[in-house]
Amino acid sequence: MYLIGEFHDEGALIAAIRGLRANGVEPASIDLFSEEPVELPRGVLDRPSRLSLVSVSGAILFGVFATLFIWWAQRNYRLDTGGMPVFSFWATGVITFEMTMFGAILAAFGWFLWESGLIRARDPGAPVPTVDPGSICLRVHCREDDVHEVSDSMRRAGAVHIGRGAS
Amino acid sequence: MLTATRLPYSKIREDLFRPLSRVSGRYVVATVIAFIVGALGLVAWGFQLRRGMGVTGLQRPVFWGFYIVDFVFWIGISHAGTLISAILRLTDAAWRKPVTRAAEAITVFALMIGGMFPIIHLGRAWLFYWLLPYPNSRLLWPNFRSPLLWDLTAIVTYMTGSVIYLYLPLIPDMAQLAEHNTPWRRRLYRALSLGWTGSDREWRALERAMKLMACIILAVAVSVHTVVAWDFAMALAPMWHSTIFGPYFVAGAIFSGIAALIVAMAIIRRVLGLELYLARGHFDRLGKLLLLMSLLWFYFTMAENLTVWYGNEPKEMAVFGSRTRAHYAPYFWTMVVLNWAIPFVLLGIRRLRTIRNATIASVCVLIGMWIERFVIVVPSLANPRLPAASGFYAPTWIELAITAATFAAMAMLYMIFAKLFPIIAVWEFKPHPQEDD
Repeated sequence: MYLIGEFHDEGALIAAIRGLRANGVEPASIDLFSEEPVELPRGVLDRPSRLSLVSVSGAILFGVFATLFIWWAQRNYRLDTGGMPVFSFWATGVITFEMTMFGAILAAFGWFLWESGLIRARDPGAPVPTVDPGSICLRVHCREDDVHEVSDSMRRAGAVHIGRGAS
Repeated sequence: MLTATRLPYSKIREDLFRPLSRVSGRYVVATVIAFIVGALGLVAWGFQLRRGMGVTGLQRPVFWGFYIVDFVFWIGISHAGTLISAILRLTDAAWRKPVTRAAEAITVFALMIGGMFPIIHLGRAWLFYWLLPYPNSRLLWPNFRSPLLWDLTAIVTYMTGSVIYLYLPLIPDMAQLAEHNTPWRRRLYRALSLGWTGSDREWRALERAMKLMACIILAVAVSVHTVVAWDFAMALAPMWHSTIFGPYFVAGAIFSGIAALIVAMAIIRRVLGLELYLARGHFDRLGKLLLLMSLLWFYFTMAENLTVWYGNEPKEMAVFGSRTRAHYAPYFWTMVVLNWAIPFVLLGIRRLRTIRNATIASVCVLIGMWIERFVIVVPSLANPRLPAASGFYAPTWIELAITAATFAAMAMLYMIFAKLFPIIAVWEFKPHPQEDD
């Protein structure tokens, strides 16, 4: 069961989330919908991210692969280097750098799509509220037994409208 | 004076989405003209492919002419967008909001155009795939030591990053556009917005991704033009083999990029009626930035030429002389006037720093920076280390037509983009009470 509360005031929204969290609602069960990013104080509804870690991992992976590939190709398909080393980091450093950055970009973009949920399967029964300009909608996934408690919590915090959505 | 930050959000959205639904007669005429000029360029390229590189003005010893000049110029212009946008985003400059998307679009289109030139310059363009690392029949892999392969990887990386950097902040706007639109546009925006709902998970992921991409793109943008500079600096040609070529090119790229951005903004505000959103303050700030880059460019040019003159090395002095006193002197001094003297007067005096003057100065800089690339590329090749090999270069109609076509292609791509997507990021433009534009 989903409950959707509409808020016109960010303070009321924060109070509602704190109230819900105090009542044991998990952050994973709470979603906000707005026309612009909503900045909440730290600790209210944190969403831990692995974007930087994934991006650095992608960078290392591509960088190492590019370097090993160049090393392999230059050792096995030797070009006349006029007495210079067959493989040199000086000469291939630029490609290693660019491929490292390429890996970081692709990993960051891929992880953005995953983390934002844009390429993940969504609950088809989860209602997506239509957000009016200036308002923020709070969607809470709760059990049928907890509907009244959640609803009261949002109303007390200052929700201007509360509605139900199918599960 | 009324500014956009005092307008209600609904009005902002209406103003910025309105240009997408109307196509004026002037727009159609401009697009058709750009298309015709672009098509003439394609005809010229077709002629070159059929008859060979002999139809161009390229001949011994000048084998790099207009095509390489255009390549360096357009890659420089590409620094307008992503780099400037990334700097402004990372420094949280509130005034950036109406500027960033217009700038990022320039990057993508300039890179597409600039990236074509190495292929046009190849002559046998159908063999471009020889640049890619694959084991061919002669068991030769690409020469990874070659700066030309560095170019390929740098441009592919920058292009990929720039397209993603342009696409990410477009997603929320496209989701809004998908709500009320004609059927084919609705399908397009729905597909591209990937089912964006405006949830906090999506917003947070977007903001994090934008910040991270801005950091990555800064490093890549600097590397791209440094690598382009190294195409020259790695050769032992007179006045090319210079350690400051990397930063000199990067500074020049940002310089021409800002100029391109100002010109694009001036056209957009007039044609799309966005005077409230692209206000004098934006031109004033970008004008100051352009002035700063003009001074930096002048400093680099002085440093580069003074050290050559002081060294008095014969072969370098031959190039220096041809640039400043002989055949190429008109180009050199025109470049100095356009890149330094005119911007210094028009942008340095506060009273003169109007939208019109900033645009005039920017057009001068664009012309001046194209000439600068020409002055760097051609005289060094025309005066090589072998004395008997000296020569001159003059382009043919083929090169002129292809060069004109690239400017037309840029205009056409930009006009089409501005009709398909809001040229100002609507969701980013929403005013926040704590921000003073």
